[in-house]
Amino acid sequence: MTSARKRLFSSVIVLAVVLALNFLLFRVMPGDPLTGVVDPRFSPEAKQQLAAQWGLDKPLSEQFVVYIREMLSFRFGLSMMTGAPVWDELKNRAPNTVALLLPALILSAALGVWLGVKAAQRRGSIVERLVLIGGAVSFSFPSFFVQLLLLLCFAFAWPVFPLSGTTSIPPPSGIAAFADYLWHLALPLFSLVVLSFGGWALYIRNMMVKAMGEDYVLMARARGLPRRRVVWNHAFRSILPPVLTILLLSLPGVVSGAVITETVFSLNGVGRFLLEATNSHDYPAAGAAFFLLALLTIGCNLLADLCCALADPRVRGEGTRG
Amino acid sequence: MKPRTMKRHLSLICLGILVLLAILGPGIFGLEDGQKAPPYSKPIWLDHAIGGVAVLGIDAGDGPESASAQLMWNYKAPTRISITGRMDGGRLEWRTPDGTFPLASGAGELDLDARDISFKRALGFSPFDDVTRALFPSQGEYVLSLSGGNGSVEMRVEGGRWGWLGTDQRGRDVATLLIRGIRVSLLVGIAATLISTVLGMSLGLLSGYAGGLTDALIMRIVDVLLSIPTLPILMIFAGIWGKGLWNLVVILSVFSWMGTARTVRSMAMSLRDAPWVEGLRALGAKRNYIIFRHLVPETMPLLLANVALGVPGAILAEAGLAFLGLSDPRVQSWGRMLHEAHTFGAFTNGAWWTILPPGIGISLICLVFMDIGRRLEERADPRLSAKIEQEVKI
Repeated sequence: MTSARKRLFSSVIVLAVVLALNFLLFRVMPGDPLTGVVDPRFSPEAKQQLAAQWGLDKPLSEQFVVYIREMLSFRFGLSMMTGAPVWDELKNRAPNTVALLLPALILSAALGVWLGVKAAQRRGSIVERLVLIGGAVSFSFPSFFVQLLLLLCFAFAWPVFPLSGTTSIPPPSGIAAFADYLWHLALPLFSLVVLSFGGWALYIRNMMVKAMGEDYVLMARARGLPRRRVVWNHAFRSILPPVLTILLLSLPGVVSGAVITETVFSLNGVGRFLLEATNSHDYPAAGAAFFLLALLTIGCNLLADLCCALADPRVRGEGTRG
Repeated sequence: MKPRTMKRHLSLICLGILVLLAILGPGIFGLEDGQKAPPYSKPIWLDHAIGGVAVLGIDAGDGPESASAQLMWNYKAPTRISITGRMDGGRLEWRTPDGTFPLASGAGELDLDARDISFKRALGFSPFDDVTRALFPSQGEYVLSLSGGNGSVEMRVEGGRWGWLGTDQRGRDVATLLIRGIRVSLLVGIAATLISTVLGMSLGLLSGYAGGLTDALIMRIVDVLLSIPTLPILMIFAGIWGKGLWNLVVILSVFSWMGTARTVRSMAMSLRDAPWVEGLRALGAKRNYIIFRHLVPETMPLLLANVALGVPGAILAEAGLAFLGLSDPRVQSWGRMLHEAHTFGAFTNGAWWTILPPGIGISLICLVFMDIGRRLEERADPRLSAKIEQEVKI
């Protein structure tokens, strides 16, 4: 089995576990899944009819088959709150979540790498102190607290950014709409970058310090190569695979962070949808949102895994040899 | 204590103070729940143009006589005035520097509020007038007097300043809530980490020592759990299963044992093949004996560090869930405080005092545990600190 296929296989297993968990969470857990919609005054017949509407009257095994088919074809059924198809709601929200997370991830990783490498080159400088403080912030400050502080500073005390929402009301049109969207996205994005670049930078710094002490770096220097080339092409190149592994491991946390960020800034994304659905006991909606978030994680995971294989010659070699 | 030792033990001292406050705080400060002052009152040291909460009491005995209570008011007009009590005749008057208002006369129970329309009409104002301001026209001495009758009357003037940290959206004292919240954070953080460490240790030992199929199975579970976003699962659990504190502890520990299991597994694997363990086996030692008498104590110091380093994660997770509103509303925790501040308009009121204290509290407690954990880790594995020194030399 090649490494790419092995990775695909493990992603499928994770997906299967997520699907099973999602199913069991809502059906085997104590409590009637219909509590959100059923009033105690309803007659048993009405209850039965409602149960039939969501397919809850069939045996578990049959429900499971229907559920798997629904999930894999992205038909998530009807919301218990609104009665509208869940997918219609999610379809509009998913791009907002991606638009928040992807730039945040790329920006914080790029900034973290750059600062980490700089900090490793100049030990004891201001850059290194910044990296250490950033690391402390990202490991011990609750994300929502930092975000609330940012809101307090830049939306209340000095109102340059909006306090909440994804677009202004009423939404402008044309180019202005895009600018408005970016304006609303700026503060959440900034907060996510502030919260996560420190962890990256700290990690990169530690690895770069070690890599810069290796013999091949000394050798490259002795050959008279430019400093920039030594740092990036020789030292940084060697730590690229573990960096990608860290990227991979940080993805679930990033997706979890979306829920909190979207709640703090009242963004119209999948995370907040999940929260609203959970709070109103809307099980089909909550299950679909969870599935989508997990799918996002698994997809990114697979992507990072494949990048990792491309960056590491040893792994790549293993792949071609079979 | 020398300043340097002080600095080294700073985190331990902080932890000690926090634990003491958590245990003794409610007893010492006599923290009772409930409304104390108007919602979003400012901290007492913040704005000296605003008055605090003042209570004027008149208790007139038998016989027609005159009783009064004075109040020096050098602030802006208060936000709320209420009068309660009972009088059996006579006149209740409010003397301001600019004039006198007859508040009530005759016998009866009193329950007046400056916002009540009937009270406004009785004083000769229209229902849309701000009577609170009219009753406090300027700064100076105010007198509440009862003449020609008996009774006990209490007048409550609420200005909008309260306590060291102000009040929240329900007029509760923020300092009280802050001290009460310590307990929840410590309890959840430590309990969840202890349980998850025990879980991770047993599974890690089992995996590392047994090897083979058991090992493959456990490690696969670890991989899967590590690649699922935890917060959404925790949210769904909390939403379906109930928001109780102990439910939360169980959920948190079930989803945070993986890191420990990995560490312990690699330790157990290297220990399993160590010569002295092989020697023990050769002497006929049973598997359980080796594990519980030798491997467990060997992994103990690192596990202790692991516990301390794991506590911030659990505290942050608890605070995160509470911030999302997925915690027991009856349990006052720091995350809950932030949730209420965010949901009930602390921003539109500019009430930063409801946001900063709990946030700083959570961060402080996490920093303290991180520091203690790092020290324990260095003690358990002296190579770590040696490595750091070596790094610094380069």
